[in-house]
Amino acid sequence: MHDIIAAALNAAQLAGASYADARIVDSSREEIQVASGIVEGVEHSDSFGIGVRALVAGAWGFSATRIVTAEEAVKVAREAVAIAKASALVSGPPAILPPLEPARGEWSGPIEIDPFTVPLEDKLALLLAADETLRAEPKVTLTKANMGFHREHKWFGSTEGARTEQRFVESGAGIVAIAVEGDEVVTRSYPNSHGGGWEQAGWEYIARLDLVGNAPRIAEQAAQLLTAPYVAEGTRDVIIDAGQVALQVHESVGHPTELDRVLGEEAAFAGTSFVGLDDVGSLVYGSDIVSVTSDATIPGSLGSFGWDDEGVAAQRDFLVKDGMLAGLQTSRETAAAIGRTSNGCMRADGWNRIPLIRMTTVSLEPGTWAFDDLIADTEGGLYIETNNSWSIDDKRLNFQFACEIGWEIENGKLGRMVKSPNYTGITPEFWASCDAICSRDYWSVWGLPNCGKGEPMQVAHVAHGAAPARFRNVKVGVGR
Amino acid sequence: MTMTPEQARELARLAVSMTDADQAEALVAAESSALTRFANNRINQNVAEENALVNIRAVIGKRVGVASTNRLDDASLRVTAEAAVAAARIAPEDPAFPGLPGPEAVRDADRAVQATRDFDATARAEAVGSIVAQSSSRGLIAAGKVRTAEQVIAVANSLGVDVGQAITSAQATVLSMGAQSGSGWASFLDADAGKLAPEALGAEAADLAERSANPGSLDPGEYTVVLAPEAVADIMDFLAYVGFSAKAYDEGRSFLSNHLEEGLMSEQVGIFDDALSEHAMGLTFDYEGQPKRTVPMIDYGVAQMPVTDSYWAAKTGWRNTGHALPAPNPYGPMPLNIEMMAGEATIDELLGSVKRGVYVTRFHYVNVEDPISVLLTGMTRDGTFMIEDGRLTRPLRNLRFTQSAVKALYWCEGATKERRFVGTEEGASYVPGLLISKFNFTGQTT
Repeated sequence: MHDIIAAALNAAQLAGASYADARIVDSSREEIQVASGIVEGVEHSDSFGIGVRALVAGAWGFSATRIVTAEEAVKVAREAVAIAKASALVSGPPAILPPLEPARGEWSGPIEIDPFTVPLEDKLALLLAADETLRAEPKVTLTKANMGFHREHKWFGSTEGARTEQRFVESGAGIVAIAVEGDEVVTRSYPNSHGGGWEQAGWEYIARLDLVGNAPRIAEQAAQLLTAPYVAEGTRDVIIDAGQVALQVHESVGHPTELDRVLGEEAAFAGTSFVGLDDVGSLVYGSDIVSVTSDATIPGSLGSFGWDDEGVAAQRDFLVKDGMLAGLQTSRETAAAIGRTSNGCMRADGWNRIPLIRMTTVSLEPGTWAFDDLIADTEGGLYIETNNSWSIDDKRLNFQFACEIGWEIENGKLGRMVKSPNYTGITPEFWASCDAICSRDYWSVWGLPNCGKGEPMQVAHVAHGAAPARFRNVKVGVGR
Repeated sequence: MTMTPEQARELARLAVSMTDADQAEALVAAESSALTRFANNRINQNVAEENALVNIRAVIGKRVGVASTNRLDDASLRVTAEAAVAAARIAPEDPAFPGLPGPEAVRDADRAVQATRDFDATARAEAVGSIVAQSSSRGLIAAGKVRTAEQVIAVANSLGVDVGQAITSAQATVLSMGAQSGSGWASFLDADAGKLAPEALGAEAADLAERSANPGSLDPGEYTVVLAPEAVADIMDFLAYVGFSAKAYDEGRSFLSNHLEEGLMSEQVGIFDDALSEHAMGLTFDYEGQPKRTVPMIDYGVAQMPVTDSYWAAKTGWRNTGHALPAPNPYGPMPLNIEMMAGEATIDELLGSVKRGVYVTRFHYVNVEDPISVLLTGMTRDGTFMIEDGRLTRPLRNLRFTQSAVKALYWCEGATKERRFVGTEEGASYVPGLLISKFNFTGQTT
């Protein structure tokens, strides 16, 4: 593969590129969906191709093809250069890539049991067993169980001499119980909503999830939600479970600290950021117990790799430290805007996409509390679990999330169940109201395989470390 | 383009012939696309790609397996066909699976335009230059995209389905931003890139950006709103996503469930899916190769029917309306060519009828909190204005809404004569602007 990459890079340089890189990606997916006892889908898909990125006179061009031969690689390299020359027709300050020691080597994610070697019969048996267990609850009228596996083999090279080869295997699974009664529809998911739990791991991760063992609890809660009340509109202290904290971090810390958004490069689609370049080192992002890291080195996380798609080595960096904005997620080209070098966040969704600044594992660092102590310490409020819906404005300030389930807290004890609790807030005010975070015993990494960004749309696989946390005086029960 | 519809059909037939199953279907989807993005008044990303996918569905009795690949050599196709068959052999039976659909006549429609194919990187850059000049000359900052694409889709199956079509699309979006927090938006979508008028598009966004500078506050509450087509299209997308599928209907998750033939919305509201309309873009057949039929989902406010595919038609007893997505499809059938009935007013007439209300150019990051009521939350963006005594008075900072889409359309009191195509990730909608007398804003960006 590196011969084909070399052919592309030579062609790009001969056509006038001052810099070029090329990626070949060979990926496979297996997706299995079961619903209400029926197998809705068993699918295997493959995708293979090469993409070349070229810099000419400080302007970028990119072209990609599914035909991976030296001849086609030369063709797309020349096209990438031609496109870069067209970009220069409407140019601004030239893109500059600071010097980088060329990356060389191989990297593989951790894996014990290759999920692609596990017989389909075993996968279906597990999903159907979980699905059947969910359906044992009579009030659960719809059930879903899904499993997915993703394998990627990636070769990267640049005109600076980088040559890397990386292998990734990801596994995920989840179950959903839906209860429908009249005009009432309630949903309960495990281990997470929107596709379940995901790790960079093999079949051992699926086994660890214990879908069947968790199904009765999920089904029972779905049934109970049918008659549970909504949360009354008002202001409450809220304890949020780790899974929802992970999404809260994703939307209100991860995205606004992407330097391309800060610079306005994503303005027309996903939006910009309330964070400004001058805010690094001065903006109070949250209370002094709030620290958030960007870390591509956590074993098993969807956000981990050896090198990003510019050949920058995986690293750990603080985005928020003790409540203060400490850094941003950067690329080679953008990092100079804050006087730094890239912290390795450039990733592309496959061979036919350019790398963008994407989250790696962006985590709320653990605090000191035990979960039971946190509940006991809360006089009145809400404890809520599992995301149901999310929305945030184009500057990442005004958000509203809904969860699947919650419980009222009265005098330090969990009480009545509530359905579809939602809450809204303004990002820095919300994080400033965080006064307790559970300890590392309650902290885990949540894989999110569906982070959308860019045009054409790219879906990144990212992750967030999170533990349950408490936020004071949160507006809840909005619009109900 | 690397493939013609005839070549795609031939490839689909070849893939079907390689499949050792009771029934087989092959979907070929080839795409040649290019997208020029701009931000900060310059081109910042500029990409092109060629790709093609063969998706094979194998059926053994009532067992189904699917496999796909973008490697199109015979050996790879054979491996993919074998993978589909292997999956079908192992999958448990689905007693409701009716078998693959047979051939039906599909209407020819020429929806591929040479001018779009010819719209190369230089043409895109020149269009961007014209768009950007409208902002940069006024001290504004423009961002957006110019995209062209040609898709060739073919479907063949072992029962004789054998269809193929080429379609083109050209899309442009413009966000213009000013220093005083003003922003404006304009978009273009058509099969013909030759119809793109970049200067006018750039000017529309820049005008709005200037007009929306120095936005102010508004207390949360229920307001009359006038929604521009871009905002209406967002609502249509979510109705389609959670409500207009026969699967959601059958499972009781749709707002149509248990409510057919009831007046759920205002009599001013007609929503139908019509891929055959003179206004429509895209395919005239679905991803099972079945003809797309016109489906009135809401007729003068009354709930009529959801859309179906072969599976959900057989399961529910409705006719197959031709709204299948590619297999396997856990989402169920989906309308991708939504049209909303036009009204009789101009946008100025709608505004003129409002004593006190809010004008919304478009929404941002909308999501569903409750599927049955289609309770949506999201933000306004790029041009939100106060309407007072029939005219736009002052710009507003972006507002958060939390509102049932079904209820909002119940309170629809008027629609514009003019409709616009608005392209979204889910497809393209052809919609008017709307006057809605009750709409719930629940917050505002600081």
